[in-house]
Amino acid sequence: MNVADTFQVHGFMSQALIVTDHNDFFGPSSDDGGSLEYTELGLNASFRPFSHVLVAGQVLSRKAGNYGDAWQPELDYGVVDYQLIADEERAFGIQLGRFKNPFGFYNQTRDAPSTRPSILLPQSIYFDRSRSLGLASDGLSIYDEERFSNGTLYIQGGVGMPQVNSDAEISLSPDNPSLDGKLSSIGQVLYAHDGGRINVALSMARVRADYQSRQERQEKGEFIFQPMILSFQYNAENWSLTTEYEYQRKELKDSPVSSYNGRVNGESVYVQYLYRLSSRWQWLLRYDYAVSDRNDRDGERFEASGKGQDYSRFAKDVTAGVHWRVTPSWNIQAEVHHVDGTAWLPRQDNDDDNTEQHWNMLLLQTSFSF
Amino acid sequence: MRRGLTGCLLLMLVLVSLCSLADEPATLVIANRTVHQSALPLETLRAIFAMRQRTLPDGQAVHVYVLPDDNPVHEDFSKKILGVYPHQLRLAWDRAVFSGTGQAPNEVDDETEMLEAIVSTPGSIGYIQQSSLNDQVRVLDIE
Repeated sequence: MNVADTFQVHGFMSQALIVTDHNDFFGPSSDDGGSLEYTELGLNASFRPFSHVLVAGQVLSRKAGNYGDAWQPELDYGVVDYQLIADEERAFGIQLGRFKNPFGFYNQTRDAPSTRPSILLPQSIYFDRSRSLGLASDGLSIYDEERFSNGTLYIQGGVGMPQVNSDAEISLSPDNPSLDGKLSSIGQVLYAHDGGRINVALSMARVRADYQSRQERQEKGEFIFQPMILSFQYNAENWSLTTEYEYQRKELKDSPVSSYNGRVNGESVYVQYLYRLSSRWQWLLRYDYAVSDRNDRDGERFEASGKGQDYSRFAKDVTAGVHWRVTPSWNIQAEVHHVDGTAWLPRQDNDDDNTEQHWNMLLLQTSFSF
Repeated sequence: MRRGLTGCLLLMLVLVSLCSLADEPATLVIANRTVHQSALPLETLRAIFAMRQRTLPDGQAVHVYVLPDDNPVHEDFSKKILGVYPHQLRLAWDRAVFSGTGQAPNEVDDETEMLEAIVSTPGSIGYIQQSSLNDQVRVLDIE
């Protein structure tokens, strides 16, 4: 086989219909007829110029309601991966370029429909409204996998520039402060036992950005987003149980006016049960909980301080979904969400003063990948 | 009488085929003859078939060949040799391909194509049923 024979092209596309009774998610979903403004297109290419080297890149174009620059093609990842050691006991390598952040079980392929258990990933941890914060890093990542008799330990650590875009700014506060990403770090340790029957992982990141209020010149400093995720998954032949817990710290420090400095600790957790009826049909049930401030779980103090509604500080989402694999590359999915709270409701699609605490959402999606 | 005979014959046929099902030859991991190893540890094999390792322990680039997901030999190989379910393998490939950490394996339609690919591709690895084995490929023991 020569180098040209290792060249591969893959891609995916998806189209969703989203209907809500209150609040808008990815476009005018609460209008009659719902929203068709959730579309994803991805295309990647890879090849192995040398036996130890993989070069891979993916371009992503998506429309998700009023999120960011709709359709604007973005480099999702672009890496040169050099595997320095690959023997029976371990694989050790470095990735240079734009690499996907290894964060929880799903972040690295969050936009590829065939890798998601449901149409929307649990929004408490894989929030879409400020997704740029955790998407990928431009820098260097090192990985190592250590193999035992019936299990493998994966360790990955990276440093790089995050992509902190306008979505993170508007999601941090309705005042839409300016954020400018700075050198950040991410790491993950994952143990897969018995071919992945049991997976356990710990992921940590420290995303840094320069913060500047657009209203108050003195309200500025360093913004630090520091999430930590504990992940657990059990895979049986017909069912999978997955749960992830996230503890996230948001901090503003080094402001010239010390009263602007502060720290909020949020918390997220979901439990997901997926059952495979056959190789073509599966269904899932999930409970997903997010709270923006652990010390103000019902948002009472937040509302008392006049910053906004109490229910914008939490979200409890019960999801039921069904997945039909029409052919190996063509999928049709449907799911319903019953939600209490708006903690991850996209501000891009909603006016904060015009939201409802209790809302329901139906999503239908068809996707194709090759 | 005639009916009885036919019935007996049918019963025997069923029994014979049941026996042959039970004794169905095992699936074997095979490699191109340029591959130096005669055995691989299970976790190394899992890493190679999950597309996380790009070279064989002898240093040459590895080329992975698989049968379609619903092929019984693929199912047998996944479950009995790798100890993972075909849907887990499929997910591992999708994750590799869409995160830029690996490539997809080369998919062939049937065992004839599998043998042809393994015979003609240096550094290739795949699997077949014992009954389809010939002496142009190397069999790898899994430890």
